[in-house]
Amino acid sequence: MNTHPEETLQPTPDTIRRQILDFLQERIKTEVAVDRDLFASGLVNSMFAMELVVHLEQRYGIAILGEDLKLDNFRTVERMASLVLRLLDTPVADHA
Amino acid sequence: MPEWLAQARQGVTDLVGDQAAEWDLAGLLPTETLRTLGKLGLLCAEVSPAYGGVGANSSENGALTAHVGSLCSSLRSVMTSQGMAAWTIQRLGDARQRQEYLPRLTGGELAAVAFSEREAGSDVTALTTRIRADGDTVVVDGRKTWTTVARYADLIVVFGRYGDEGAAVVVPAETPGVTVRPVPNPSGCRAAGHADVDLDAVRLPASAVLGGGGQQLQLLVTTALSYGRISVAWGCVGILRACLLAAGSHAGTRRQFGRPLAEHQLVARHLAELMAAEQAATRVCEHASRCWDERSPEMVIATVLAKYIGSTEAARGAAAAVQVLASAGAQDGHVVARAYRDAKLMELIEGSSEICQLILAQHAVAQSH
Repeated sequence: MNTHPEETLQPTPDTIRRQILDFLQERIKTEVAVDRDLFASGLVNSMFAMELVVHLEQRYGIAILGEDLKLDNFRTVERMASLVLRLLDTPVADHA
Repeated sequence: MPEWLAQARQGVTDLVGDQAAEWDLAGLLPTETLRTLGKLGLLCAEVSPAYGGVGANSSENGALTAHVGSLCSSLRSVMTSQGMAAWTIQRLGDARQRQEYLPRLTGGELAAVAFSEREAGSDVTALTTRIRADGDTVVVDGRKTWTTVARYADLIVVFGRYGDEGAAVVVPAETPGVTVRPVPNPSGCRAAGHADVDLDAVRLPASAVLGGGGQQLQLLVTTALSYGRISVAWGCVGILRACLLAAGSHAGTRRQFGRPLAEHQLVARHLAELMAAEQAATRVCEHASRCWDERSPEMVIATVLAKYIGSTEAARGAAAAVQVLASAGAQDGHVVARAYRDAKLMELIEGSSEICQLILAQHAVAQSH
């Protein structure tokens, strides 16, 4: 259990990657590498991509809108983690 | 029930009055009625008050959608279309585009969303409409078919190819090169303003492309359709409620062989099935809307399920209602005659029953590894 308050507010890249991997494991029952192309490998279709969007928004309290919905942002676990980190740093007013 | 919702339901009931049959027969809704509801923010009630909207959650908007659907499915289709346009702009647009367009959708302007083409219905990959960048403008070329509300629309959200990816672009209906041709005599939701939309070298500022474009086409369409599906599902709950009311009232009063129809067991079974259908559709819609309101990722599959169950139950239930009313309801314009035609259309649009079944089956397989 993580007890550092600053880390509770802002998860580390490692934590985010692990949490996304857990979600993928639960939903598609497959272990993936953090740099595996989920779409090229056929593991993910557009329905599941939307689930991923909603999951990341809900889990991290972010809004993934507009140009951030580009598929490239969801292609690998690493890219999703980068997107989450970037949006966590974005003031809420910008994506209200 | 929140105060605004009670007032909105009463307001729509008063506004529709006894005109739904007339609208169905004429194949036309009065534009003034649509603009009145639009200005109240009720056609896309989930838009935030920051953009002049009501700020309803999915469960509340669902209750309103079912109510409107029980009165007139054509009017409910306008809500579905307007709400889908607003949701698409909210999700795909940038902050400036949300500021530009959403207040217009809560200010009386009407919006359509154009997906289908002659050769591209369920298969989004077959879309041929092109959105091409040209300096600080874009040029749109394509042929859209069966676009709900296009006949009344001020703005049309058009999905198309943008380079190797996709984009959604907001096209004012008055732009040169846009031709809207109403579909003659649609079999259901006859007054919903279905039309084919031709786009010939339609030039727009690049700022009309939501989020700058370049998103994956299927993800764009899936995103937009999710709103359409939950809205259609709630509309089907409304169809079932109207049918239950009409069939229950008729079977309780009309007498044959010395007793009310409802006391004939074969007729009673229709009523029982209708009631079961209305309850099942309501519960599955409530669940899906709860998923939306909690922003649970299950909203995606729960919405497909709600649309599938809502539309198939509505089609079956409406057929049963026509059977119970028989000659009393077998006339165009009558509530059950409209329900029968409208419900069938709901099994075709926003992902046919078969497409919904494929999605549900894929989900079942993914869950059973």
